[in-house]
Amino acid sequence: MFLTDAFVMATFTVPEKITTDPQSMLWLLPLVAAISIVYKATKLPEIKFVNFLKETVILFGSIVVFMFVTALVLYSIAWLVIE
Amino acid sequence: MTESRPKENHTIFLLTVGLLAWLIPGAGHLMIKENKRAFIISVTIILTFCAGLYVGSIGIINPSGAKPWYVAQIMNSPIVAALGYLAKTGDYTVFGKPNEIGQIYTSIAGLLNLLCIVNAVYLAHLCKIETAGEPKCS
Repeated sequence: MFLTDAFVMATFTVPEKITTDPQSMLWLLPLVAAISIVYKATKLPEIKFVNFLKETVILFGSIVVFMFVTALVLYSIAWLVIE
Repeated sequence: MTESRPKENHTIFLLTVGLLAWLIPGAGHLMIKENKRAFIISVTIILTFCAGLYVGSIGIINPSGAKPWYVAQIMNSPIVAALGYLAKTGDYTVFGKPNEIGQIYTSIAGLLNLLCIVNAVYLAHLCKIETAGEPKCS
């Protein structure tokens, strides 16, 4: 039990290795999921599983699509400035 | 909650809900018997916060070097202050991408909890207006 506890504690005292490649942008997705879930949990008048799931997925999709479009616009501007 | 509840009692009730929501994410909603909301909020915020700590270690809680992040992080719970005290020893240094992602995760978790604190207090206040005479919320 002590070893298990020590192992769990140790994982929180040493940072993970994360490289600065395009794949690191995927860390955005769990965060967007958390934001969507908590926001919908506070905004829906009644929590019913199917409705809650539907609303959360819609919000998640909206945020991801909006961020993708924003990234595309910024990339285009950067490309125009550089070229 | 009854309509005869004195105004002071209602204020104390709202303060208690807000304080509980800060102490343990979701506890404010639990107090006003919004059990489903409480469960969802609690699990999501605690998981997001722990994910941030896992990625960046407790070194990402830096009360002196990263004050704006710390202000957002402490919205999670007062436990963050204890973690900040531990991290102040300087034994848990973290730089670069893990630091960045860890700080973003823990700070967003804190800001989400702030949203939940405000929501719990608002719902507790609405309880008084909507359930006149019925002991539903407290």
